[in-house]
Amino acid sequence: MLKILKENKKQVFNLLLLFLFFYLLVMSYGASKYKPESVSELLNFTVWLNDWPKWLDLPLMNWINDWFKEFNEKYGIIFEVINNFLLGMVLGLKKILVKTPWPIVIILVTLLAYFSSGKKVGTTVFVFFCTFFIGFLHPRFWDKAIETTAIMLIGIFLCLIIGIPLGILISRSERFRNVLLPVLDTMQTIPSFCYLIPGIMLFGLGAVPAIIATFIYAVPPLVRLTDLGIRLVDKEVIEAADAFGASKKQKLLGVQLPLALPNIMQGINQCTMMALAMVVIASMIGTRGLGDEVLLGLQQLNVGRAAEAGIAIVLLAIVLDRITQAYGETLQERRAPAKKVKK
Amino acid sequence: MKLFKNFLISSVFVSLFSLVATGAKADCKARLGDFDWSSANIHTAITQFILEKGYGCEVSVTKGSTTPIMAAHYDKQLDVITEVWYDNIIANYEPHVEAGTIMNIGVNTPDSQQAFYVDKATADKYNLKSVEDMKKPEIAKLFADPEDPSKGRMTSCISGWTCYTVNLVKQIEYGLDKYYTNFDPGSGGALDAAIAGAFAKKQPIFTYYWAPTGLMGKVDLVRLEEPKYTADCWNDMSQVVEAIKADGPGAYRKTCACEYQDMALTKSVLTTWAKAHPKETEFLKKYTIPTATVNKMLAFYEDESGGDMEATAVHFLKNETMWKNWVPGDVAKKVSAAL
Repeated sequence: MLKILKENKKQVFNLLLLFLFFYLLVMSYGASKYKPESVSELLNFTVWLNDWPKWLDLPLMNWINDWFKEFNEKYGIIFEVINNFLLGMVLGLKKILVKTPWPIVIILVTLLAYFSSGKKVGTTVFVFFCTFFIGFLHPRFWDKAIETTAIMLIGIFLCLIIGIPLGILISRSERFRNVLLPVLDTMQTIPSFCYLIPGIMLFGLGAVPAIIATFIYAVPPLVRLTDLGIRLVDKEVIEAADAFGASKKQKLLGVQLPLALPNIMQGINQCTMMALAMVVIASMIGTRGLGDEVLLGLQQLNVGRAAEAGIAIVLLAIVLDRITQAYGETLQERRAPAKKVKK
Repeated sequence: MKLFKNFLISSVFVSLFSLVATGAKADCKARLGDFDWSSANIHTAITQFILEKGYGCEVSVTKGSTTPIMAAHYDKQLDVITEVWYDNIIANYEPHVEAGTIMNIGVNTPDSQQAFYVDKATADKYNLKSVEDMKKPEIAKLFADPEDPSKGRMTSCISGWTCYTVNLVKQIEYGLDKYYTNFDPGSGGALDAAIAGAFAKKQPIFTYYWAPTGLMGKVDLVRLEEPKYTADCWNDMSQVVEAIKADGPGAYRKTCACEYQDMALTKSVLTTWAKAHPKETEFLKKYTIPTATVNKMLAFYEDESGGDMEATAVHFLKNETMWKNWVPGDVAKKVSAAL
């Protein structure tokens, strides 16, 4: 018996899925308020072939609602702890950034661009002007941009500490990848309000549900690109490492990760861009930042105001993009000096 | 970058989506504007049902948030709005009435409320009855704002709506601003979720809210007393509110503050549409449902209909008789036949 099971794993699995489907059908029918008086009515095809019958309705809504209510009451405390922890991080970071005089922040950002781009003057000057223009567009935008950045940086930090290890894991295990990929697809496509509103009920209004939402939306590209980067490392290099008797850990830290770094940097870059895309959505759940300037402009039908804030968000995106992108490129050039092309 | 750009654009229109329903005959066409809160949805659903089944109209419904929908109405793209929060948008609305593009055709729900509320458990425990009772540091501590722990959080109206600035001025006038933040929840759905979440976790909450709403029937909020409404006080405050909206908080000057007037929600139609459809307009003019009935319908919608607004409209038409006074006998017969 066991042997047959093992040999036909796939068939058995599909059969189980089929059973699950019929179970759901029967369950839904049993739970429906609209089921016909007698079963014989089901045989009267003309009635229910035209419109989708009302009793053929999976009560997923009720399941989720009941589950969520109980979950919220039972485990609300845990989320409170997470909430306080993340909020503490955001507030701390914000305090430092807000207290620093704005010229110093601009200089620091410019210096960061200078070194990460491998001392390219063009990129540095460009980043300097972009940063300057955020405040130049409207003095109020400066503090708001800093608030946005603080929330985003924490979100990206979460992405890094969870996304990169996940990426490494799925690059090593085919089975785990098969499980995780659909989850990543769901995270990227499910409308953000589906998890934002429950997020408010768990965490309360403000920065923390926005960070969680940013994480859900922005982590998939990082996981994917980490996975891709590691799998793209030349087989010969791995073989060479094996030949030197490198342990798994040595191989990962000494060979695979460094060689995958340009891809991972690209992932971080994508992660940053996606995180910025969440800014306006986040402000719809009471997160301070540039997003609420956009919303405010739209609420008041003030197209100019909304556009101004929108441009500020784009500038912020450009600054972050240039810095991470340039760092990735610098890394790539350093890794492959032979292919270095003069631009 | 392309994805990012698309995302920005789509998020701007995130609340704008449209449902199109086609009637059997197209003697008349009506484009209804609907909003993203349930009481408006109910009025729209009932109106749609009567217009379609009773008058044989071809009805299309466009749903969105206040600003885009009202802008489309002013722009003659939507014929009928079944629930207008008139007092809140008076400054934008009146010029279009004067210009003759739209008509205010009377009340759909009398005595709606907006006020400051506290959850009943906390109100009873600390004997909180009016805004004056809130002005104590130990009370403010109950509602501590996690983002600014030195103050309590008053979850306010949505920034950009007039009520947000009204609440701001009220807080200053009542002396609440020293103890509480005027916290912008960002959107109506977020405000609802914040209130529902606080009740689920049995945490104290101090919030601005309004009725008729489905949530109001489910949670126990106590309305805090404020100084009684007087037109003089309100008008003076409104001037300050408008100044702040135009020029920022710096435009504040000392004024007075009083409670929100219990106001009537109104209906609005395009003048051209009303001229072309006199019979239908007559029905819309007569249309009015008391707040208690609306609350009942909202509770039915949320708890029993399984989120089916059309079923809620049918439930209303089956169980209430008031609508038979709005329409002529033959129309009433057609509607009843369609139920």
